[in-house]
Amino acid sequence: MLAEIGIVTLGLAFLAAIYAIIASVYGARIRSERIILTGRNASLITFPLLLLSCTALMAALLTHQYQIAYVWQVSDPSTPTFYRFTALWGSQQGSLLFWCLLMSLFTFFATLINWRRNRPLMPYFIAYCMATLAFFVGLVLFVENPFVRYWLTPDLTANSSVLAYLFIPPNAQAPEALGLAQTARGLNPLLRHFGMIIHPPMLYLGFVGFVIPFAFAMSALASGDLSTNWIKAARRWSLIAWLFLSLGLLLGGRWAYDVLGWGGYWGWDPVENAAFIPWLMGTAFLHSVMIQEKRGMLKVWNMFLVIFTFSAVIFGTFATRSGLVESVHSFAQSGIGIPMFLFWGSITIISVALVLWRWNTGRLSDERGFAGMISRESLFVLNNVVFVALALAIFWGSFGAPILSELVMNTDITLGKSYFNGVTAPLFVALYILMGIAPLSAWGATSARRLGKSMLVPIALTLITLVITFVSGTRDGGALFGYGVVIFAGYVAIYETYRGAVARRKNTGEAFPLAMIAIFGKNRRRYGGFIVHLGITVIGIGVIGSTLFQVETQRTLAAGETLELGGYTLRFDGLDMNQIAEDSRVMDIANLTLLRNGAEIARLRPRHDFFPQATGMNQMNIAGSHSTIENDFYVLLASSANDGSTVTLKVYINPLINLVWWGGIILILGTLISVAPSESVRVKERESVGSRMGAAA
Amino acid sequence: MATWEKSAISVPVRSSRSGERLKFLIGGLLILGAVMYLIISGTLTGASYFISVDELLSKPEYLGQTVRITGAVLGDTITYDTETLTIEFTIANVQEPYDDLALALNHAVNNPNASRIRVRVENQVMPELLQNEAQAILSGALDENGVFHASDLLLKCPSRFIEGGPSQAELSDMGA
Repeated sequence: MLAEIGIVTLGLAFLAAIYAIIASVYGARIRSERIILTGRNASLITFPLLLLSCTALMAALLTHQYQIAYVWQVSDPSTPTFYRFTALWGSQQGSLLFWCLLMSLFTFFATLINWRRNRPLMPYFIAYCMATLAFFVGLVLFVENPFVRYWLTPDLTANSSVLAYLFIPPNAQAPEALGLAQTARGLNPLLRHFGMIIHPPMLYLGFVGFVIPFAFAMSALASGDLSTNWIKAARRWSLIAWLFLSLGLLLGGRWAYDVLGWGGYWGWDPVENAAFIPWLMGTAFLHSVMIQEKRGMLKVWNMFLVIFTFSAVIFGTFATRSGLVESVHSFAQSGIGIPMFLFWGSITIISVALVLWRWNTGRLSDERGFAGMISRESLFVLNNVVFVALALAIFWGSFGAPILSELVMNTDITLGKSYFNGVTAPLFVALYILMGIAPLSAWGATSARRLGKSMLVPIALTLITLVITFVSGTRDGGALFGYGVVIFAGYVAIYETYRGAVARRKNTGEAFPLAMIAIFGKNRRRYGGFIVHLGITVIGIGVIGSTLFQVETQRTLAAGETLELGGYTLRFDGLDMNQIAEDSRVMDIANLTLLRNGAEIARLRPRHDFFPQATGMNQMNIAGSHSTIENDFYVLLASSANDGSTVTLKVYINPLINLVWWGGIILILGTLISVAPSESVRVKERESVGSRMGAAA
Repeated sequence: MATWEKSAISVPVRSSRSGERLKFLIGGLLILGAVMYLIISGTLTGASYFISVDELLSKPEYLGQTVRITGAVLGDTITYDTETLTIEFTIANVQEPYDDLALALNHAVNNPNASRIRVRVENQVMPELLQNEAQAILSGALDENGVFHASDLLLKCPSRFIEGGPSQAELSDMGA
């Protein structure tokens, strides 16, 4: 029954999306309000339909419907309830369905919110969103359906695999429920981690969120309303998408750090890169959008950025799911590669063609030219160039070079970490420098002297910090340079915020804290943005520290023995063997005591987990760590003697690594502040609603 | 929106002066050149061939050169020295092209004629996925003794992830 509900609602959502595309475009062309409205309603109904479909799959997971192939593959009777929920996105089919649900959710709210305000854009907006949705729903429906069920057909021989069908084959019988339950595969043990539980949904929200700005850009091109309306409608949605994408990336890093057991959080894995590329493009867009709003410039560039952000999203999805490149993530090799590639190619080509068409008609020309090399708009353009260069360099390294060498030279060339570190490091340095200078420059012409003057305080603060860092023992020139560049950007963010509050206090006579609150309320995007910059600075410090100064060692210890590393002493107290957890994993846990200067500071329990039920990948190492702002003392239980008398430990000290996570939290907070509507906007809206009501009365 | 703007001198300035333009052009070309240089030099130094075990053994020029290889892990050859955290195992050449990776790995492991290489990975915690019929993707170099010293080890176990359903026999055993 659940499978039928799932399939029928999925089919209806597909039809509704197709109808919405046709009705919106046709209605807009013949200017029929009635037809446009039917199109809008059809697009709105996709959300409840897909919600129903997802609920059906969720219910099937929760009620152990192992006849449904997806349920059989991602859960088994021992799977805890919590992981039954998350199994919805534990594998290809379910996660694609979930992806569709999120996309329809975004479209649903973006349509309702913008329906009145941006009426001329909406039919085309709906058409673009629904075209994307229809493609993905079609993929779920026809290629990767999570509702196919196992059926025993008369022609099955004893040893053949039982096949799953969408429709019940003639004379088929349902397999024995007990047998299905006992053979079910269960969720991949690696995915049982809090980071893995929220990382995919966040990443998906980030990915699908970018469909909204993309659809607004395309609707501007298609409708001919090339004013800043589309930018205004798209801006907040890009920020929301960016927020989720950032969260997804951070959680993914945290998951890798906790679970993959190599003491790092970022490995330049193609799939990590596939999510990082849209983030870079989206960040460029968030900046350049301001130039179009304030100065009426870069209209074509913004169109291209939004197209390539979305294009990168689709490419990333395609790369992740089709097994395009060798990666720890390519769990999903399947038949969706070709359709996804075609979709990606056609959506990119069509969008670019639309921009070029409007460009030719001269409707996208800029209202102003560049005023000077160090004006804020020039620096923003430079920032954009660096972001795009980073995105291109990473794309080339993870996909371009391997694919091109295969196609052209018939050899397979891969680029390793040395490529990524070597190419991206100077570009990141350039970005941090720009992040420091650009907020100090002014729109239009800025004199170099004025800019230099405003840099004095942050530069002085940076120098003081560097001297303290040097005195406290960091002598590495490269590291000091890196810290300097990164910290300068942070001081600029703090200093500019401080100056804003001081100016406010002067004008209004408010107390300083009140003035501070007031400026955040008045201009959330600017000051939220500074907090994001501060977060990026903190992350930068963490990345430099943990990359350049990681130390590691390994040792085999018997009970009572100790090892020394970086001023710490680690003592092995004993091994708890064969502990059985709730989800029936078997754990060996080492009991360790961490001492510094003879004083006990923490007890660590790194474990080795074994999953007796899982086939294939069935064990994992969970690190034990002691986290402080100074560093992470990170211990892996590499192996243990059969009788538990000795253990081999691999130990890392990762300096400043926690700043990566804390910086991430600051970044998220800053983005939340930026996303929240400004007071002035809210007042304006209230006024306009009031006047509208007044007019109606 | 007013407070967002800096005190700009917002007289629309046209940068039609050719000097300004030239500056931007030169600046742009410099940036482009720098980025191209970074990417090209990075590619030249960071690139390694991704080859099969057969290719590695058949061409002497690969000896000592950093390459990336892929092969199927033979489960009963895995040794792990827990004192030094040194892993050794043998991989077998995987015949290409293939449709089903799991099947190709299975054939590679069971084919006594497939060429094989001993792999040594130092200073590494035993990876969870290192097991029979896993696909190993290794970066490193082959030494004169025919041992491949890997600095980077990536493993994939397609058997875990393939879409295969339960077999008829499995179901009737369990259900009975």
